[in-house]
Order: sequence, then structure tokens, then C-alpha cells
Amino acid sequence: MVTGNSHLPMKTTTLCAMEPRNTGKIDHLETKNPGILQKLMAMGILPGMPITLLRKSPSYLFEVDQTRYAVDREIANHIYVSC
Amino acid sequence: MKLPVTCPEKECCCGKTRCTPGKGLPKIILIGNPNVGKSSLFNALSGSYTLVSNYPGTSVEITHGKARIGEREYEIIDTPGMYSLLPVSEEERVSQLLLFEEKASVYLHVVDARNLRRMLSFTLQLLEAELPLILVLNMMDEAEERGIEINIPELSRSLGIPVIGTISSEEKGIEELKAAISEFTLENNAQKFRQKLDYGSEIEPCIEAVEGLLEPSEDAEISTGISRRAISLLMLQEDRTAFEYLRRAEKTPGYWDESHEKNSEEIRKLAKAASKITEVPLSYLFTLKRQEHVNGIVEQVMEIPEKSKNKSSGKNGKIRAQDDTGKKGSKTQNSNLDFSEKIDSILIHPVLGIPALFLILYFGLYLFVGVFAAGTVVDYLENTVFGGYINPFVTAKFISLVPYPALQDLFVGEYGIFTQAVTYAIALILPIVGAFFLVFSIIEDTGYLPRLGLLLDSMFKKIGLSGRAVIPMVLGFGCSTMATMVTRTLETKRERLIANVLLALAIPCSAQLGIILSILSGNPESLLIWFIVILLEFVLIGFLASRVLPGEAPTFILEMPPLRKPKLSNILVKTYSRMHWYFLEVLPLFVLASVLIWIGRLTGLFALALKIIEYPTVWIGLPPDAADIFLFGFFRRDFGAAGLYGMHDSGLLTGVQLVVAAITLTLFMPCIAQFMMTIKERGFKTALAISGFIFPFAFLTGFIVNTILKALGVSL
Repeated sequence: MVTGNSHLPMKTTTLCAMEPRNTGKIDHLETKNPGILQKLMAMGILPGMPITLLRKSPSYLFEVDQTRYAVDREIANHIYVSC
Repeated sequence: MKLPVTCPEKECCCGKTRCTPGKGLPKIILIGNPNVGKSSLFNALSGSYTLVSNYPGTSVEITHGKARIGEREYEIIDTPGMYSLLPVSEEERVSQLLLFEEKASVYLHVVDARNLRRMLSFTLQLLEAELPLILVLNMMDEAEERGIEINIPELSRSLGIPVIGTISSEEKGIEELKAAISEFTLENNAQKFRQKLDYGSEIEPCIEAVEGLLEPSEDAEISTGISRRAISLLMLQEDRTAFEYLRRAEKTPGYWDESHEKNSEEIRKLAKAASKITEVPLSYLFTLKRQEHVNGIVEQVMEIPEKSKNKSSGKNGKIRAQDDTGKKGSKTQNSNLDFSEKIDSILIHPVLGIPALFLILYFGLYLFVGVFAAGTVVDYLENTVFGGYINPFVTAKFISLVPYPALQDLFVGEYGIFTQAVTYAIALILPIVGAFFLVFSIIEDTGYLPRLGLLLDSMFKKIGLSGRAVIPMVLGFGCSTMATMVTRTLETKRERLIANVLLALAIPCSAQLGIILSILSGNPESLLIWFIVILLEFVLIGFLASRVLPGEAPTFILEMPPLRKPKLSNILVKTYSRMHWYFLEVLPLFVLASVLIWIGRLTGLFALALKIIEYPTVWIGLPPDAADIFLFGFFRRDFGAAGLYGMHDSGLLTGVQLVVAAITLTLFMPCIAQFMMTIKERGFKTALAISGFIFPFAFLTGFIVNTILKALGVSL
């Protein structure tokens, strides 16, 4: 698996398990569902990028780089974050 | 959404559906992610107008325009947004196909300056495709507002192509861009731009092998501007368009020597082998490699101030220092950002968001469109201006000039072209759609629609749609023909079909909605019953469709553009342009209806048709005379609604009958134009099936509502 490089000991969770207002780094993307993977990559949600979760309800809202994205739980489960 | 381009010189298209200004001239193609301002740049360069909004996916079709830059004229082409050369959704595929089929002198890759890091990867892909490229950093103002600094000359050096900063909404940087284009095309592309990225020793041999298979024989004509390497990469990712291109090339005689016959299979085998080596999908690997390269460039050329929010992984002192100085300089801008941040958090709040939505609906839709436009304005235009002055005058003049009763009937009779078609179109429909499009333009330019998508996603999931479908649904309240076209931004076939059915069935278009709001506004209970029945219908049919139709549940992912203050000029131009489009679509159909009814009355067919429709009309508890409005409804729902307005005006219907008629008419198939669009987007069989379901269903619902209201002894 290709991952974002980090030298500090960090724990990795999915975006769903993160708390709102917390920032981490995208560690890797779940690659089993090619459709979702393709969408995430196309939109620039990629390993190594810092990610801030802003909201969990009504849907997941997060910021990567300078852009905000809204996704549902299904997709949030495909994003693994280390923080 | 796509409207005909408004040409400043009125030389080619005005009003026609097909418009290809500048055909045959050297081409400029605009490419880029959704919502980065391609359309607004297109407008600035060509001096024409195509729709600009604040949500991804405004343009779902290719727009052609003509631009004069320096001494030369160009054909300029705006494309639907795409994230990468490998498309995910249908409108991206539209753009990808264009890149395969056209060969332009210049390609402008438009990016949002704030998001350079995310968008440069696509630039690299375009360079890999060896397209003559200029990079346009748009929305420089928003980047500056956030304290982002970009070293443009350095970026240009490291990419090897011209880079221009612009603010297309304010037409800043356009002159520089034009100069760059002139210079670029004068050089006649002497230098080929290429940026060869190394994807690693494991995979490079596979890429080269595919490239080898694609090599045409020496004198073959190459029909695409895209490099073989880029096509090879797409093929390794099993891209449909790339394979279709290959199949076409295979059919072209003389393209390859005979030894190349089985290329497709060979390539598929290579792709399989390659992904075995890497263990992850190849697209994942390619994207990460490109991003690595982008990160290297971005670190050299871009400074982003770190946010004041808590950040666990921040560790660069130098950037933080930058942040402090940047902040002092832009204190007012920051408080602006804070303010819009506060509004934003209300709009998408799971609890507060709903009353906020109702406030918008109440003021924007009910008060402004329903009560003011459809009530006050229409009343004045219809009864005073047309009813009191214009129509009596025209009728008297016509009758004195043309002494033939049959012709009098055609033009100024009860269903006459002038007295009915033109009067309805101008006095009734135009003010209502105008008011609606004005409100809608303001809402879409602020960026509220994606927020509504976020808010409603989990509810929409229950009816088989994702939050993304909010955009076509809301658009449907304007015009369901436009909205049917926008369903192509939805990701799965299943979702597009459900959205299409719901649009055709339960979403009233603005003209119809305005009339119904105005007719029922006198009686809140009637309005409530109408609203609840239509909402139930929407939910029920959506729910059933999502159960019955095969396929996977939709997933939701949507970019959230910042809230922006709408620009008055854009709103006015957009409202005008939509009204113009709507009017041109509506008037011929209304006139056609008048003529058909006239012929029908002369031959007796009209009476026969009315007799037939009288059955279901009486069946749902309406007087036989109301058959008229359903006959009109076959032409357009809003025409039927206009008929209903007439009957209401003359006091022919009781409260219950009004509600039943309004409900049945709302559920009716919208109009011929929407039907044609459904055929275009979904195919003839599906379109027919949808209508075959809707007509009986609309009457059935009317019947049920009437029976229930009667049984309960309700009088309204």
C-alpha cells in the first residue's frame, strides 16, 4: 500500500471515527471499490494531504487543502486518516 | 444547464438551438475542474454570454464562441468541468471525447489559484498528452483573500509553459491572457511541450509496451491531439474512450500494418499484468506519482498561511511567521470570511438548516413569485393591460380589417393566437418565470445549492437519490426541460432515471407553480392540501422506484464552493438569458396549440377530444368544462395552469375542485419539450414508459384526493 510519509507514531482511523474540528493527514484510501476510489482521487482527496473534519451531520463535511467537500458515510469510510 | 449562447454580433444563432460561431477558425479549448470559472473566462474572452453559477456542473454541454484576439480570430470552446483525463461522470466524458476529437491551437487549463496543489496534477496529465497548453490561475482574488502567495514566473519555469493569473469575474488579467495566446499561436507551437513523468521501473515497461502497440504506420493520419503515451496510460486504466478510439483507428484502413490486429486484447492483458505487479489499482498509483511531482512544484512556488485553527501536524515555523504578517494585512477580509462562515454553519446545520430553507422558500418562492409576481403583477397585466386595453383594441381593429369569421376566430377568438397564446405567454407566464429565475439566479450564485445537497442527502437517499440530485430538482422548479438535461451530472443510470421520473411527475415548473400558488394563496388550507399531496407523491414514487429499480444505492460526494456575494450584473444577464430562452420555447408551442385547437374546432375534432377527456375530468369530480385545461395541459403544464387561472377567475370552480384540478395538473407530464429532452437523455422507450405511467397516475391521484375530501365532507 502506498501511504503518505510520516515519521511520527500516529494512529490511523477512518474519517468516520474522527472528531469534528480535528485535523490529520490522509494516510491512504480504501482501494476495494474502484468507483469510489476513482472519484476521491479525481477530486484531489489523496494520501499525504492534510484534512480537517468540519461536520459529521447532516453529512460529512471536510476540508482538504483549500477546498471543502461534502460526502456521505459510505465514502467517509473509504478515507483513512492518521492523526 | 445550457442555454443558447447570446452572440453580441447576432450573426449566427440568436434563438436557434444549434450555434457554432467561429467554425473553421483556429481553436482555443478551455479545460479545467468544475466550478473554477471556465464559463466566466469564456464570456470574458468571447464577449458572449453563457451561464455562470456558483456550483460545480453548471455547464453540462460544450459551448462554442468566437473571439478576436490581437489580429486573429479564433473559435473558442468551453467544456463541462473535468477533474482528470480519466472521467468519472457523464459530463466529464463529454469533455474527454472533445479532447480526443478536436485539435486546438491552444488549450487553456483553468485552475482555481487557491487549489493549485489539487489541480496541477491535471496540468501534468495535459502536458503528458502533449497539448499546447497555457495554465490560467483564476480566482486570484480569493487566493489573496486567504493570504496565499504564488510565484507565477517560477511556476511557469518549472512547468515549461506560460502561466497567467486572472480574476475572470472582474475581467482582470484578460489582456495578459490574450497577449499570451497571441504570442503562443504566433510561435506556431514550434516547441512541443512535454513533461515526461516517470511512473517507476515496475510499470514503465508496461507503458512502453502499450505505446509500442499503438504506433501507427508511417503515413497514417492521426486524428487526435492526444499523445500516444497519454492514451497508453488511459488504456492501462481501462478507459472506455481510449479503447473506442483504438477501435476506430483499427477500422481506419492503412492506420496499422496487419500485424497489429489484436491490439485491444493485447493491451487488456498488459493492463491485467501491470496491476498484478503493483497490487493497487493502476489509477491509484499513477495519481499518487503525479501528486508527488506536484507537491515538489507547489512547495517551490506557493505559500499558504496556516490557519489559526488547532492543527496537530503543523510544524513549520517559517510558514507560521508568514501567517501572522498576512493576517494583519487582511483583517477586514478575514472578518468577511468569518461572517460568511457563520451564515454557512447555519445553512448546513442539521436543525437550523431546515427553518433557514423554509424562510428562503417563503420569501423567495411564496411571497415574491407566488403572491407578488403571479398575483399582483399578473393580475395587472392580464386584466388591466391586456384585458382592459390591448386585447379589446386589437380585437376591434382585427375584426374591422379582416371580415372573415374563421380567421377572426384564429387570431382573436376565445382560443385565438393573440387573445390566448400571446396573452398567456406575455401577461401570465413571462412575469412569473422572470421572477422565479431572478430568485433562482441569486440562490445559485451564492452557492446555496450544494449546501442544500449536503443538508438533504440523507433524506434523498431514502428515495434512491443522493444530495447531488438536489440541483436538478431545484432547477426543475424553473423549467423541467433544463433540469432533465442536468440529470446527467448524476453518477449512476439508476439515479438519473429516478430523478427524471420525479421531475416529470411531481416537480411543477415555475410558471405552473406561480399560477397555482396565486390561485390557492387565498385559502391556506387548500395550499396545504396541495403541498402535502404533491410531497407525499414525490416521496412515495421515489421510494417505490428506489425499491423496484435494480442497481446500487447512490453515493454522495460534492465539492462545496465558498459562499459568494452574487454579482448583480451576472444575475440580471442570467435571468434575462433564461427568460429569453423560456419565452422562445413557450411561445411557438402556445401558438401551435391555438392553431391546432382552431383546426380542431373547424373539423369538430376539438369537441370530440373534449368529450373524451370529459370522462376522466368528471371522474375526478370536476365540471365537464374543465376538460379544456387538461387538453391544454397536453401541450404544456403551464398552459393548462393558465387555463385553470382563467376558470378560477370566472368563479367556475369550488374550493375542492380547485385543489383537485391543481393536484392533477401538477402531476401531469410537464410538456412536449420535456418529453423530447427525456427521449434525448434516456431513450424513446423509457420516455414513453414514463409518460404511460404519469397520465393515468395523475388522474388516479386526483380521483383519490377528491374521494377522500368528499368523504370527509371538506369544503374549502
